[in-house]
Amino acid sequence: MTLNPSPSNSCRFGGCTLTGALSVTSHVRDAVSVVHGPKGCTHHNFSLLHATALDNDVVHIPEMFSTGLAETEIIFGGEEALDRTLRSVSRLDPAAVFVLSTCAVETIGDDVRMVCSVPRGIPVIPVPTAGFLGGPFQEGVNNALIALAGMAGPAVANGGVNIIGEKNLEYEVNENFAEVVRLLDALGLPVNIRFVHDLNMDQLPRLGAAQLNILRDPALVPVGTYLCQRFGTPYIPSFPLGLSGSITFMESVAGACALDCRDATEKERALQEEMFCDFADLAGYTICVNPAVTDPDGLRKVLEVADALKLDITPSGCPVPLPPDPPVGIMGMRRMLHRWRRALHA
Amino acid sequence: MPECENPLWPCAMTGAAACLAGFSGLQVVIHGSSGCYYYPASLLHAPLHGTFILESEVVFGSENRLNDVIEELAGTGGRIAVITTCVPSIIGEDIRAILAAHDVLLVDSPGFTGDLETGYRAALDALHPVVDPDRNGVNIDGVSLADPFSRGNVQELIRLLATASVAVGTIFSSDRLERIQQAAPFTICTNDDVRSGVGTYLGSTLGFEAIQETFTNLAGKFDDADIDPVLREAGVQEERVIHACDKYLRRCDPPSVTVFAGAAYALFAAQALERYLDAAVLFVGTRNEPPGSCYPIGKVTELGAVRTHIQQSAPDLVIGSSFERSVSNGRAFVGLIPPLREKVRLSHQPVAGIGGTLHFIESVLNACRDHKPGTT
Repeated sequence: MTLNPSPSNSCRFGGCTLTGALSVTSHVRDAVSVVHGPKGCTHHNFSLLHATALDNDVVHIPEMFSTGLAETEIIFGGEEALDRTLRSVSRLDPAAVFVLSTCAVETIGDDVRMVCSVPRGIPVIPVPTAGFLGGPFQEGVNNALIALAGMAGPAVANGGVNIIGEKNLEYEVNENFAEVVRLLDALGLPVNIRFVHDLNMDQLPRLGAAQLNILRDPALVPVGTYLCQRFGTPYIPSFPLGLSGSITFMESVAGACALDCRDATEKERALQEEMFCDFADLAGYTICVNPAVTDPDGLRKVLEVADALKLDITPSGCPVPLPPDPPVGIMGMRRMLHRWRRALHA
Repeated sequence: MPECENPLWPCAMTGAAACLAGFSGLQVVIHGSSGCYYYPASLLHAPLHGTFILESEVVFGSENRLNDVIEELAGTGGRIAVITTCVPSIIGEDIRAILAAHDVLLVDSPGFTGDLETGYRAALDALHPVVDPDRNGVNIDGVSLADPFSRGNVQELIRLLATASVAVGTIFSSDRLERIQQAAPFTICTNDDVRSGVGTYLGSTLGFEAIQETFTNLAGKFDDADIDPVLREAGVQEERVIHACDKYLRRCDPPSVTVFAGAAYALFAAQALERYLDAAVLFVGTRNEPPGSCYPIGKVTELGAVRTHIQQSAPDLVIGSSFERSVSNGRAFVGLIPPLREKVRLSHQPVAGIGGTLHFIESVLNACRDHKPGTT
């Protein structure tokens, strides 16, 4: 994608609340999402989610409906169109219906909650979104997760761990999940549910059964806090990032679950040493990194690995690619280092 | 049924961006939120700017923000074009008055006004193309950045025109901005769904028959044109197509096919499949308004309807986009319209011209061979 977002003002690039919320609700596989607005908004998001699914070799097609507002509804109001769409969708008997509004609807002032409150025989869950008027992308993710968590009741503890708020639009979403599972396996902990990734509504009651929630990143702290208040489940605020992050992560998880992790962390350190050997040929190369493409914490993680591999960082060095989000665990690091090697040998 | 299940076609705002972003020397600004910006930016792979308006600007007006962006872009290269999105249109700001102090082209094309073609047309009208009667050459029309085959189409038609010793006029919409005002008097087209209407239309270039007819028309307008090499090449290449299809038919039954695309591409595909493979065209679903046709035809713009048509007609082969492929249940598939995401695509393949038919039939034969019973 060729981005040309001039003038620079980073607070404006947070994306769309609607897209954030849909990245969650579209992963509830037996539910449907109704987008109340012009159909272009639904197409944009459907197309994006479909593309992401193809990238991740997922054959499931997100089920999304548009209320299809045109000029008439923009002028006279779109509540009737929403009601009509909800009646039609209810006849399909989905496990739940998520209703998401758009900035156009927010601007004309439709009362979405009122229309959603009409009994229809299935759960109809309004998710606070209003395109950019509802806040950035992450706000949509958090709102959708909290709306969905609000449907789950208390559950009997099962000793598992929940994965909360995976970045479903991330190209490496499943690889990052696999890395977390590898570390949890090393501690003898099973995953309870992925909240929300490829989830069915009948799994939702298990949400409160976990002994620990692991958040994808600290932007989800409001969700972690909500879950803690609702179910008493503590949380770890982030996936394991970088070299030291993996060890810290294992220690934090073990601490929260009252486990002895010394053997597991020792094995993890050995794996890190193995990785250093595999990339020892990079020592002495001069690289440069563009701090604009990752956050300061991510940059620290990258500099940590560069330092460990004895790479020199100077502005005149060979530009190496950085992932938009810091690499998760050793596997994420390895993939990043393969890309660095490609850049250095190009 | 619900108003629209998984809509398959972009909105008018995206269509306007597809037209304007094709012209170099024009800086395109999407006046709206970041959400409205990212989709056309990712679809068109063209440099776009955005105002990225925030809630406060909806409440108190976006005038200052729009002016800030325009002033920052002014003087950095080329004229500025502003496309309005839904919210600025709804709140009723007088964008034209806001922009009065600047030399800015305004295209009012919010998403709720229609589909891609509506916005494309609105943008082209705003550009006010002008025919220069003294301009030599022939315009290439029907080129939209939203079409994954547009670059291949342009390359192929430039090649064919050069073979016929005819100069290229203006390419709508993939050219330098100033050439919009100097269009040639005659036009040939790659995709009639996004025809500019500029210049005298000499014909389509979809399929061998159309190429022969169009280049014959062209010879009647250009004394210096030498169309024989093009006609000879078309004849030779059509023979190759016939030979390849004939070989396929010696061992396999003709495929039954369901086609989904814009009307121009869809009918080209249906006719080519029937002509060369004796295919049974079960249904043609168009994203835009369908013309009259000898095939069962209808407008299909949502995924549920596509799924139903495929289930009901049970074709051997599906032509369409990645959306169609997703619901084709493993049938042979060939991509013809955006989005095409199931494969890595780096080279510029055409649909138009001689190369276009070769590429299309080649793709069909390979897809059908891969799905032949017993093929692993």
